[in-house]
Amino acid sequence: MANTPAPLLHVEKLSVGFRNGHSLFQAVNEVSFDVYNGQTLGIVGESGSGKSVTSLALMRLLSDRNSIISSETIQLNGNPISALTDREMRFVRGKQIAMIFQEPMTSLNPVFRCGNQIIEAILAHENIGRKAAKIRVMELFSQVKLPRPDDIFLSYPHQLSGGQKQRVMIAMALSCSPLLLIADEPTTALDVTVQKEILQLLKEIQKNTGMGMIFITHDLGVVADIADQTAVMHHGSIVEYGMVSNVLNNPQHPYTKGLMACRPSSTIRLSRLPVVGDFLENKWPDGNGQMMKELGLHDKDRITRHENMFKETPILKVKNLQTWFPIKHGLFSQVQSHVKAVDDVSFEVYPGETLGLVGESGCGKTTLGRSILRLVEPTSGKVFFEDTDVQTLNKKSLRDYRKEAQIVFQDPYSSLNPGMTIGHAIMEPLQVHGLLPDNRMRKEKVYELLSQVGLEASHFQRYPHEFSGGQRQRICIARALAVQPKLLVCDESVSALDVSVQAQVLNLLNHLKQTYHFTYIFISHDLSVVRYMSDRVMVMKDGKIEELAEADQLYNHPKSAYTQKLIEAIPGKNFTLNK
Amino acid sequence: MASFIIKRFFYGFMVVVGVITLVFLLFTILPGDPARMMLGQRADQQAVDAIHKELGLDKPLVIQYFNHLNNLSFLSVHSTNEKKVTYLTKESEYVHAKRLVSFGETSLILKVPFFGKSYISKREVSVILAGAFPNTFLLATLSILVAMIIGITVGSVTAVINAAWFNRIVLVFTAFGMALPSFFAAIIMAWIFAFLLSDYTGLNMFGSLYEVDDYGNGEVLQLKNLILPVITLGIRPLAVITELTRTSLIEVFSQDYIRTARAKGLSGFRVVVVHALRNALNPVITSVSSWYASSLAGAVFIEYIFDWKGIGVVIVEALENYDLPVVMGSVLLIAIILIIINIFVDIVYGLLDPRVSVT
Repeated sequence: MANTPAPLLHVEKLSVGFRNGHSLFQAVNEVSFDVYNGQTLGIVGESGSGKSVTSLALMRLLSDRNSIISSETIQLNGNPISALTDREMRFVRGKQIAMIFQEPMTSLNPVFRCGNQIIEAILAHENIGRKAAKIRVMELFSQVKLPRPDDIFLSYPHQLSGGQKQRVMIAMALSCSPLLLIADEPTTALDVTVQKEILQLLKEIQKNTGMGMIFITHDLGVVADIADQTAVMHHGSIVEYGMVSNVLNNPQHPYTKGLMACRPSSTIRLSRLPVVGDFLENKWPDGNGQMMKELGLHDKDRITRHENMFKETPILKVKNLQTWFPIKHGLFSQVQSHVKAVDDVSFEVYPGETLGLVGESGCGKTTLGRSILRLVEPTSGKVFFEDTDVQTLNKKSLRDYRKEAQIVFQDPYSSLNPGMTIGHAIMEPLQVHGLLPDNRMRKEKVYELLSQVGLEASHFQRYPHEFSGGQRQRICIARALAVQPKLLVCDESVSALDVSVQAQVLNLLNHLKQTYHFTYIFISHDLSVVRYMSDRVMVMKDGKIEELAEADQLYNHPKSAYTQKLIEAIPGKNFTLNK
Repeated sequence: MASFIIKRFFYGFMVVVGVITLVFLLFTILPGDPARMMLGQRADQQAVDAIHKELGLDKPLVIQYFNHLNNLSFLSVHSTNEKKVTYLTKESEYVHAKRLVSFGETSLILKVPFFGKSYISKREVSVILAGAFPNTFLLATLSILVAMIIGITVGSVTAVINAAWFNRIVLVFTAFGMALPSFFAAIIMAWIFAFLLSDYTGLNMFGSLYEVDDYGNGEVLQLKNLILPVITLGIRPLAVITELTRTSLIEVFSQDYIRTARAKGLSGFRVVVVHALRNALNPVITSVSSWYASSLAGAVFIEYIFDWKGIGVVIVEALENYDLPVVMGSVLLIAIILIIINIFVDIVYGLLDPRVSVT
């Protein structure tokens, strides 16, 4: 960056440590960066890389009881802010540096009206009356393009959608015209189309106000779309820092290379996703060309495989399936109307196929998955599994069906019982279904399963909290595999994981599929992941099937306008892996 | 909201009918005879029979039950024919009775619910309850208010400080307060503050709200007699509220919206009192309501030890004497109080947290 003006924010050697008893955990290790007026610094990293802690340390929002922050200099507009007292810092927060957070659902106080929460921020910093503040709020609402500002002003947060809440958060952050906006994963919890709108909005506001922005994200695609400079963080240190185009087109550090390669690409198909470890071990010293050669897949193989697959009889047939939930109101809780979560859906799944199911939140994809397994009772329609009508199964045969069809849930943190060792969690389905003659043999089987999903036999006696997210998802997969199902429904099974871990779990799922000839229904909101995993992809909207086609076909030539919109909204779409 | 309240009152009414029936059945099935209790074990059969007849206990159970309901209802059926009387209570015994329609000898009457008369003192149950309930109401309300104000304040302060040593000190006190049996606490409080230190405090060991003074002025309001029972009754709720406020606030402090509030640049005081406390109060309200309800139902030990003439004392005495109408009246009153408090608490939940839909 030659010939640049003075930075808006200048950070030099910022370190943050957390005290834990007598030991000290270094969360951020001497990071230095600059943010310029009217520009955006994208900080990328996976969970635990210290990217959020960095921003919280800048705002001094970390509790000083257990954290130690040190820095050589932190200057905002040339003024050192690291030496400010807590009281003085209060006037920097919200006024000069404002912040928006990852979870719009929980970042607004649930018991206050949206309008009042913003007025409060204005009144904390500016000497104006409530009326003037309200007029300002209305202006802000129209600036962040909220529909019906009067209604939103009086609404409570839970009455708004995720995107609307994030817009309210942005309005709040902008309320005192800050010099610098820190956005900590502001779009991670939102649907892709909403994410796209929010990113555009932030860019536009930045253009109008000239504020500097720090954009924290785990998604390189988002960085490619929004940032001017980027800093890649790994284990508390910045491993690569520079202009976005330089870093992404010519990554130097193996971690950056790995992070970029492990995202399913939109242009090429690989037999296995490379993982960060591959690059740290320098597996392909000659660059990406060598990697492609080793992992690349030919379209021809895929086409012949599909031809053979679609000739077989479908393993699962869904006919006019409907799952409606009643809405009750009134004195005697009369049913007033229905939420049509799944509305007249028909499709077939072939043995050995992976059927991808995409859609935005609330489109009914999860309910469909659960209706197929009869975890939710469908209202009408039929589900045939190997020609058995699942609807008519009684309690006992339903249990046998559960052995054939298993599910892996989204959140590996809450789908394992914290009071049960993981060995017993995996062994339980074996006992319930009376598989294998005795517990000794079942234990053997669990050891086998653990090694299949890349865990060790010694993990048998451990509890879920001792494992990372990725490991827990492997445990959930092992538990589903224990009963040797034919059909596996993966409901957003990788959504809660970091990209590098996601790649590992996706590879595991594909590996297991090849070994056991599973059939998958792969539910996700992430279109790149679904495309990588699936043979055919089904797009759902408002409980109905919008489009069902072969994966590449669907991505390259989407027929419905909605599918086009979804694909258009994939972040970093225009940016592809450099060959 | 209106539909919610109507629904709740309807359910509440059904509960009251259930309570009436259950209490009635319990006291007719249980062994024991009110007449014997009134006359003593050596009374002759004639006297016992006379009392049975007077109280209507010689009638079949169904008639007794019907009469019971007839008395408690605002609308009741009544016959003027003394000979074939199946309605045991005389019309003249009802208060503010108004005849609506008559069919020959039978008439429909609108009246204030009639709880009957005490078997022992012959006073009307409603009069007995009306005399005792204000005392209990005052005692319970004041003690829960004191416990709430002090408990929420102390709980908030400890949550904000949240230092290990300080938490431990508070925990010792709250554990002690929770574990302290109320009869023991009452005696200790009375002994320390009204006996050992009575010269300084000027408090009495026992006494009710109105006392006959020594100079022949009739009944005199004795507000100072409230102090010890209020504090004693408040000790346990105070401990519970302090602990609940503390843990609930600490939990809320880790929420994202608290971080947002701080990132806005609000003062620490505003973050705690405005943003955190309101979100933390739900479990506190739940416990306050149950404590309040149970002390309104009569804090028997405390009323007994301080000789505070409240519902608790009335119930104990009525149970001792097998005074069926008083027991039934008290139980009914308590049931109604609990129902009203529950409805009220549900409304408060809705006011505190807009996500709780009161529909």
